[in-house]
Amino acid sequence: MSRLTTDDLLKIKQKYKEEFTLREGGYRTKVTVHMGTCGIAAGAREVMDALMDEIAKNSIQNILVASSGCAGLCGREPIATVEETGGETIKYCDLNAEKMRKIVTEHFIEGKPLLDYALPPWSDMPFFNLQELRVLRNIGLMDPENIEEYIARDGYQAAAKALIHMTPEEIINVVKSSGLRGRGGAGFPTGLKWEFASKVQSDVKFMLCNGDEGDPGAFMDRSVMEADPHSVIEGMIIGAKAIGSHNGYIYVRAEYPLAVKRLQMAIDKAVEAGLLGENILGTGFDFGLEIYLGAGAFVCGEETALMRSIEGKRGMPRPRPPFPAHKGLWDKPSVLNNVETLAQISPVILKGADWYRSLGTEKSSGTKVFALTGTIKNVGLVEVPMGIPLRTIIHDVGGGIKKRGKFKAVQLGGPSGGCVPEHLLDTPVTYEDIVATGAIVGSGGMVVMDDNTCMVGMAKFFLEFTADESCGKCPPCRVGTRILLDILTDIAEGRGKEEDVVTLEDLSRDIIATSLCGLGQTAPNPVLTTIKYFRDEYESHIKHGWCKAGVCRDLCSFRIDEKLCTGCGACLRGCPSKAIVGEKKQPHKIIQELCVHCRSCYEACKFRSIKIMPAGYEGDLSELAEPAGAESSTKKGEA
Amino acid sequence: MAAGPKILIVDDEIVVIKSARRVLEGEGYNVEGALGGREALLKIEQNGYNLVFTDLKMPEVDGITLIRWIRKNRPSTGIVIITGYPSQDTIKEALGLGIIDYVPKPFTPAVLLDVTRRAVQWLEGEKSEEAKVDEEFPPAMAAELDRAVHEYRDKPGALIPVLQRAQEIVGFLPPAVQKRIGRGLNIPPAEVHSVVSFYSFFTMKPRGDHNIRVCLGTACYVRGIEGVLGKIKDALHIDIGDTTGDKKFSLEGVRCLGACGLAPVMVVDQETFGSMTPKKALKILGRYAPAFVEPGPPEEIEETVEKEG
Repeated sequence: MSRLTTDDLLKIKQKYKEEFTLREGGYRTKVTVHMGTCGIAAGAREVMDALMDEIAKNSIQNILVASSGCAGLCGREPIATVEETGGETIKYCDLNAEKMRKIVTEHFIEGKPLLDYALPPWSDMPFFNLQELRVLRNIGLMDPENIEEYIARDGYQAAAKALIHMTPEEIINVVKSSGLRGRGGAGFPTGLKWEFASKVQSDVKFMLCNGDEGDPGAFMDRSVMEADPHSVIEGMIIGAKAIGSHNGYIYVRAEYPLAVKRLQMAIDKAVEAGLLGENILGTGFDFGLEIYLGAGAFVCGEETALMRSIEGKRGMPRPRPPFPAHKGLWDKPSVLNNVETLAQISPVILKGADWYRSLGTEKSSGTKVFALTGTIKNVGLVEVPMGIPLRTIIHDVGGGIKKRGKFKAVQLGGPSGGCVPEHLLDTPVTYEDIVATGAIVGSGGMVVMDDNTCMVGMAKFFLEFTADESCGKCPPCRVGTRILLDILTDIAEGRGKEEDVVTLEDLSRDIIATSLCGLGQTAPNPVLTTIKYFRDEYESHIKHGWCKAGVCRDLCSFRIDEKLCTGCGACLRGCPSKAIVGEKKQPHKIIQELCVHCRSCYEACKFRSIKIMPAGYEGDLSELAEPAGAESSTKKGEA
Repeated sequence: MAAGPKILIVDDEIVVIKSARRVLEGEGYNVEGALGGREALLKIEQNGYNLVFTDLKMPEVDGITLIRWIRKNRPSTGIVIITGYPSQDTIKEALGLGIIDYVPKPFTPAVLLDVTRRAVQWLEGEKSEEAKVDEEFPPAMAAELDRAVHEYRDKPGALIPVLQRAQEIVGFLPPAVQKRIGRGLNIPPAEVHSVVSFYSFFTMKPRGDHNIRVCLGTACYVRGIEGVLGKIKDALHIDIGDTTGDKKFSLEGVRCLGACGLAPVMVVDQETFGSMTPKKALKILGRYAPAFVEPGPPEEIEETVEKEG
């Protein structure tokens, strides 16, 4: 591709409108197979191969086949979207090669859509119709490896506007008045960050993008980088103009190979088209962009640590001030923005601050992307207006809890965040309201847990993470998280002492007060929130030796309620240690000495006749009977 | 137990002593601890040790003072420093005093064991592991490493990209590789090592033919990855970070693969597998090495698996 001018951008847009509009391009049908990491892992390549194969075999002419990124509904991958002239758009889900072949025959050749394989119409699904797509505006709708498709969807228009018609001050003012806040976690106003850096005099400044996405349970940045890499690049060009930078890095995790590949491809194409490098769009503005591969350290999500890492050192944070806007990468003024933040810069520039503020709340404007996972029906990527209650996201967009489970808590913000219980589900999703619950909005991981999750175990899981990922610079974090973990392990393994909960709380507060960076300052959050909302579970572990969720193996026993058992034998067949005995149609029994607490029977029983009791409990089931993990149960009988 | 080399761990944090003891005693070393320089002096005076690991920043008698005292009074004792502040100056000073090696804090058991093994070999006057590896370098590999170094040499922040490339070339980063890179980039080996030990992407152990990466992210945890991991560990008889004896498989735990929609997830080499169960995990491993589960046709494997749960 030759170097482009702004006129060329419009021409490409026009050309694509003509060619790729179904009728005018001579196509009857367009089939898009969604090939993000999730899709490919679920088998999208086989689906694509089957589709191409069938098209060739039947010599079908007027079908346009395209690949694109994630379709958002990760739990139902592989997904293919079928658009037809004059017909409704159909999304086929849970595909495999065989189903695809059938779709080609019945739908494309015989003209009968296979509604059994399709999702309900878009407008009927709360998963889709409650979303507002700004960051995800292009995701799943275009081929991320084709720059022209991005241009056809208004791509690089905002960069052209910013470079040709706007001064740095004007750019900063629009971003500032849009109220856009950093989507990486802390929620610092993006415009303000840019303003600080723009005011510093320096020959060299750096525009950086954080694509490290270290929070376990979060994958929105990966999806954006894989499915719409140019939107990130465009955001960086605009940011570079605003702060006066000519060099940039995108710091990406090495664990995201597809994102790295697509970003690199996008950068190469943009350079070729004169949208990166020297004299961008003939405006005289230069901006060179490189990818820097992270090497796996959670702490590198912290800005000073990330900059150290690019310098080729151990990614350890340093005290601020000096802030990176003054002294950042190689001591030069630097701005670091998150992927999701950068991806929405171009619509802000094109449509203005008022448009951006039309969604969200006064202090938290716009939308936020969440990676909705855990024991929820609709697992996937969702973008909702800020200010929407958590309950709406989980029960309407997410479709509620999977199978027969009961909602217990939602974990927000990964290892830095906390667990929000049922009674706070009406909390609106804004930076301030979520912090008030003890969690944080964070980068957007939202892991839903049902009553089979032990909250002590959850806190222990996160502390294992932070204790391991602590960079070791500050003893409160390095040693403190280890001690928190030791205490939690003791509780989970039946060595808990009554004073442990108080110790956990005190130590947590000390770690928060005395750590240098965000990792240590937030590491105790999972402990504090689980104690705050699920104190009864800690007490049940410590006082009664009872993990009601049946997760802590030393603190539970499994018993069959003879009144409920139908003798169907499902548990008996599934038991790996042959600890279950009983005649067909007669109540079964678990031989406690043989039981290894693997939960197989619990999962297998359709009649909920398996009860989780305290370790070694031999009394009557009804005395202690209550559903696993139910809340507020401290007053019940002793073991 | 008493036959092993005698080691003293000196640190003002009991946690460090405890964890180092746990790691080293497991390998048959004879380990004792001292909470600070003063206690260490007394213990060394009375007992004598082959090897002393010491922190640098300690109240009263600090690490440098202790090292000076040992060099003067017990010159045959080997010294390794443990430090959370791997700054050039302190390390240079310590090197000047004749230490063998250093362990950056926090350290992984693997790093500690590795450093210990080399230090003991050095003390026994054997040819060190790194010298051996250096000689066994195929020339092509060495040339490839040098090329990577050359390509990045003039770029700022070259070390991490070069290490990533080196790991691609060699498969892991033994001390000889780190030394060679350090020499090429004009970076002290200690600094190279400090970077290698910091990032989880880098490994100093060789990987197997097939590298299994199990996702330890939150979504995978909530959906039961622990059972899957346990099954794999049992089947291969290895722990996270290890390689099987026949070098067929290596096992890694990763933070989050970002494929939470398919949780629980594991990756073998480049292929991602979602919605894992312990049973499914074994079947997948069987695909890469049918022999390791149970010889026989696939149906039989299934049955075996079912019996095992």
